[in-house]
Amino acid sequence: METELNSIHVFKTNIKNIDPACEMRKTLDDHSDIKHWSIDHEDVDCVLRVVSDVLKPETIIGMINQFGHECQELN
Amino acid sequence: MRIRDVDKEKLVITNAIDQIVRDGFQGFSMNKLAKACSISVGTLYIYYKDKDDLIQKIGAVIALKFFTGTVKDFSPEMSFEEGLWKQWENRAAFTMKYPKEVAFFEIVKHSPHSDIILDSIQEFADFRKIMKEFIDNGLRNKELVPMTFEAFWSVAYGPLYTLLNLHTEGKSMGGKPFKLTKEIMKEAFSRTIKALTP
Repeated sequence: METELNSIHVFKTNIKNIDPACEMRKTLDDHSDIKHWSIDHEDVDCVLRVVSDVLKPETIIGMINQFGHECQELN
Repeated sequence: MRIRDVDKEKLVITNAIDQIVRDGFQGFSMNKLAKACSISVGTLYIYYKDKDDLIQKIGAVIALKFFTGTVKDFSPEMSFEEGLWKQWENRAAFTMKYPKEVAFFEIVKHSPHSDIILDSIQEFADFRKIMKEFIDNGLRNKELVPMTFEAFWSVAYGPLYTLLNLHTEGKSMGGKPFKLTKEIMKEAFSRTIKALTP
């Protein structure tokens, strides 16, 4: 089924690359409210895309900041 | 509240095809595409995960259009000659109607995206089944000389695609202006059929 557009959140970050074993990956992978997530490392904005029906953009930004990365919502 | 905007999606697809045909995959970026469509990068990422996802989704739309167009008014039960002519007509009509999409798919064909796209479309499996049935019927009815599949394909469609390439270029050998007509297609087809039938 097609993803509901309102559950997709898009952010500009400074996450250039991501270690497969890093804590942030683990946290996002294991988060029960996150259906899918991905980062486009090829893009200048290193766009983070999160699919979640529940999480608010501010919550996601807070999570990413905790791991020491910049994160800003793209409208 | 976000609402799906079909016109915007169409604009994105048209611009993406244009850019990839012009600059190739390497020269193409989500940022450039967003600019060309006058939309924000954020909006683009709502619809597509990344560049690869976009290429694969657009490729799938084109492939599906191609398969649907190719089997239109075609049946594997047709006589070999009638069926192959219908294939020629359908494939020519598609190339003439969608030259940019065809150019895009040519680029995709030589990339790792190709298998991912084809595996994602159920209609591709159906298409292959129909085409296989058509060849099997031709062989069973002794309308077709048995040969290696690749040899068959190159003889059956090679002349058509050569003519279509010339048509798309708008010129033939030595730069002579060229436009493919039904008569020229029939001329090439009549020799092709002779080469394939016992």
